[in-house]
Amino acid sequence: MFRLLAAFLVIALGIAATLAVSTPAPRADFTIINGGDPTTLDPIVASWLRDIRLMRCLHEGLVRSDVTKDDLPIEPALAERWEISPDARTYTFHLRRTTWSDGTPLRSTDFVYAWLRGTLPDSAADYTSFFFHIAGAKDFFDWRTAALAAFAKQTNTPTSAEKLWQETKTQFRAMVAIQTPDEHTLVVTLTRPAPYFLDICTSIAFVPVCEGVVSRYEVIDPSTARVKWDTGWTRAAPSIGAMRLESWQFKREMRLTKNPAYWDAANVQLNSMAILSIDDPVSQVMSFQTGGVDWVSDVVAPFRAEMVTAKNAFRAEHAASVDAMRQKGLSPVEIDRALPADPRKSTQIFPAFGTFFWNLNCSSHLPDGRVNPLADPRVRRALALAIDKRAVAEGVRRLGESTAGSLIPPGSIRGYTAPAGLPRDPDAARRLLADAGFPNGSNFPTIELLINKEQNTDLVAQAIAKDWERELGITTAIIVRETKVFREQVKNANYITSSASWFGDYPDPTTFLEINRTDDGNNDRRYSSKAFDALLAQAETETNPAARAAILADAERILVEQDLPLIPIFHYVNLNLFNPDRLEGISSNRRSEQQLFRVRMRTEDSPPSRREGAGGRAAAPTRIAPQSSNLSVPASASRGVLAPAPQTPNPTDAPPTALAIVEHRTSPQRSQRTQRKPSASSSSSSSSSSYPSSPSSLRALRALRGKSPSLRVLRVLRGETPSPEAKP
Amino acid sequence: MIGLILRRLIQLPLILAIIYTATLILAWKVPGNPLENPEGRRPAPEVVAAMKAQYNLDNFWSFYVSYLDSATGVRYLRHELSGESRQQREQALAAGRLPPEQPIFDLGPSLSYREQRVNEIIGSALPVSMALGALAIFFALILGVSAGVIGAMKPNSFADVATLSLSMIGISLPSFVIGAALLLIFPVWLGIGRIPSWGTPLDMILPAFTLSLGFAAYIARLTRMSMIEQLQSDYIRTARAKGVSIRGVVLRHALKNALLPVLSYLGPASALAMTGSFVVERVFAIPGLGQHFVNAVRNKDLFLIIGVVLIFSTFLVLLNLAVDVLYRVVDPRIE
Repeated sequence: MFRLLAAFLVIALGIAATLAVSTPAPRADFTIINGGDPTTLDPIVASWLRDIRLMRCLHEGLVRSDVTKDDLPIEPALAERWEISPDARTYTFHLRRTTWSDGTPLRSTDFVYAWLRGTLPDSAADYTSFFFHIAGAKDFFDWRTAALAAFAKQTNTPTSAEKLWQETKTQFRAMVAIQTPDEHTLVVTLTRPAPYFLDICTSIAFVPVCEGVVSRYEVIDPSTARVKWDTGWTRAAPSIGAMRLESWQFKREMRLTKNPAYWDAANVQLNSMAILSIDDPVSQVMSFQTGGVDWVSDVVAPFRAEMVTAKNAFRAEHAASVDAMRQKGLSPVEIDRALPADPRKSTQIFPAFGTFFWNLNCSSHLPDGRVNPLADPRVRRALALAIDKRAVAEGVRRLGESTAGSLIPPGSIRGYTAPAGLPRDPDAARRLLADAGFPNGSNFPTIELLINKEQNTDLVAQAIAKDWERELGITTAIIVRETKVFREQVKNANYITSSASWFGDYPDPTTFLEINRTDDGNNDRRYSSKAFDALLAQAETETNPAARAAILADAERILVEQDLPLIPIFHYVNLNLFNPDRLEGISSNRRSEQQLFRVRMRTEDSPPSRREGAGGRAAAPTRIAPQSSNLSVPASASRGVLAPAPQTPNPTDAPPTALAIVEHRTSPQRSQRTQRKPSASSSSSSSSSSYPSSPSSLRALRALRGKSPSLRVLRVLRGETPSPEAKP
Repeated sequence: MIGLILRRLIQLPLILAIIYTATLILAWKVPGNPLENPEGRRPAPEVVAAMKAQYNLDNFWSFYVSYLDSATGVRYLRHELSGESRQQREQALAAGRLPPEQPIFDLGPSLSYREQRVNEIIGSALPVSMALGALAIFFALILGVSAGVIGAMKPNSFADVATLSLSMIGISLPSFVIGAALLLIFPVWLGIGRIPSWGTPLDMILPAFTLSLGFAAYIARLTRMSMIEQLQSDYIRTARAKGVSIRGVVLRHALKNALLPVLSYLGPASALAMTGSFVVERVFAIPGLGQHFVNAVRNKDLFLIIGVVLIFSTFLVLLNLAVDVLYRVVDPRIE
């Protein structure tokens, strides 16, 4: 029996030991949690904001948005400069003389190949329609679709599939108006003038891919002739962006390192970046608090409202200086940086490019045959007028979100002014309901509010239902469905009202408006308005940007002031966690766009690291970093013996941290706990944060990291004495 | 003995086939479309239709057959024997492409993690879960058996009531509470350990402990019950009469027999622990298999659902077999 148990123990420890062999990599310069594991790194497949955020580090397009400015102006990226023909249909891009991270020069044909991938009907891309702005792209799409259909009917051999693919590539060059006069020039002609084409070019689907490498991953299905790319290509392909992919361990971490070949590498400070895969919202916050990560992109922990409250309390404590700085025009992050250190200030609240709204079903009958009372626009307007949006935003959500009058967050799109929407007016609502034949809500059927229970939607629904019952005298019923059932019901318009949200994909009003076009795939409200559709159609042909914006604003006015297929409730905010004293370069623009390679770790303002050197137990080396780094810093760096770190796969690219200091383990290790205490007197002295504050040891860790361990190691390597401020 | 092992191994494919059929029927009935993003823009209907055709998602029977075809290795064999694979490889090489990789047992693509195949997901997650689960079962055995023995020595004493109540708490407290509390106490307040909790062997202790508590509690109750029974039996009295110490009686005689029910519980418990726990993996951010049981169903990722269920079933069958074999070793009377 006991021999059996012993055998079991040996097996268990054996498995554990095999795993233990893989020691974690040293801590990256910048470690982040970006909402779980990345889904994809393929630019034409990506549609999640968080994936795109990472891909901005690996890819770059012809032009990019300057995320440091609030209105995100276009700036040159891989195109050094460009000319637009007088009829605004032909764009000539002059490419930078730069190379991919493997040294291959960037060619204009890399764009052609990438855009061919994006336009193909085979590869089921979300944003294929973006390419239809280019003359001939739609024709090519239709041609290929027909060719595939014809292929499926005949008897096939692998050779004929191969032949069709070669023919497709030739057809693309022949049909689609993308010219490459030379390796560094790309000429694109559009079907019609589209003043926002440069904005479209900033979208991730338009980035080039290295044809020489990526084409090796083509897989042609011999029976259907469809082409797809083996997903391995995203890990093998070289990068044109500021970083390159070093490793991607599924559900563990992704690592990016600086791409020395990047055209603007001089302005990239980060040498390495790690993206951790932590799904649990509470663990995400805790790992920030223990110093394991530097930035959490979207905080969804259940106590996030309390985090915002704590942040507001912190701001209130320094109200005078905050106001003064605000008047000087400092951004919220800059203001935080100027305030005294406090863990509460790491909670950063940025506007998001999305809106929470309430769907109102506009079809005349529900799928189960009931007559839909909301088919009458007056009823929908009455429902909208009755809602107290402020109570939802400030009483229920408590995240500092602004109430929404319009679908498009105001100020999020350059040159576009969203309409004001309807104010709250219960009297007018009652009058409208009476006009529609339901005075005081009499004879009005029960209004169902369909929700799924994610992110407190149930509380929002209760607030709305209460307003409707109290102000309009109607009865309501809240129906909670499991997420998949909810989605099916909403998609099939099998509801009366439901919760909903929408996030913009590209910086144009149509990204929000088109979901209300008749027969649009995302028109869950079954809204159909000739006037609205006509305005969208008119905007498509309008070439003057200002006039076009005005037309689209008129269209939105129909939505939010007249017909109300949806009731905008609030505009989302994005809750971030990072310490503004430690890093800069996280953007707070209205579209939640990030270019993480712009992040810089701050060193000068960080408090000096504290070490327990002078006291009686000075000899004891202190392992301050909890295993997050294999770089252990001894009590006094001069005591450390330098030794080369274990072999890194690519020594030339390894950051200086690849050297580790081996500790002198001469003194009792146990003493470290008692020694930690004195270091508690460091920078962040806070008392009243509502979530667990970090312990003293971690503060010491943070202070240490502020002083860039790699620099310290180099200094020791050169035989210099440790910096004076490092001594207590 | 060998007959038993052989018989069970022959039964295994049959059991898996039945489980596969049942799982697929259930998963197929789940509402929702795995090809759509959970939020945001929906792909065009023709795109969805094309993708459904690509993955055989438009027809239950064609999916049923094609999955069996590739998962059992029949497709691989057929392509190898007919020379189709060779032809494809040669053609790809001729066109300057990388030859397509063809695993023998292909569990298909993941519909929610577009850049991973189910083989890769299981390959990376299973060792993690196995290591964690083995350690957890080890903890559970030490905690549970010692608690059970302490309780059985003096039934209804303070020590007994205390261990019983503790094991009750262990059964009742959900692991997301224990896990979050441990994270708060150790890494956040005391600065011991780190989050995310994976990478070094020390990282395994907190999650393994969390995972072990439920099993430990059950083992404690099993041990206590059968230990009390054994201590009252004749052979114990004989042993005491011939002068064996209490310690010796308990450890050398009673415990050996008292552990039989624990042993039969260890089979399913190990299968459960070693195929991962959703909650523990989520709280401690561990890249194990347990999260996929839940997430795959949430995303209606058919290939992944079937993949993890089949892995779990295989574990269950094999570990039960191991327990039966152990039974015979421990007690030769059992046939």
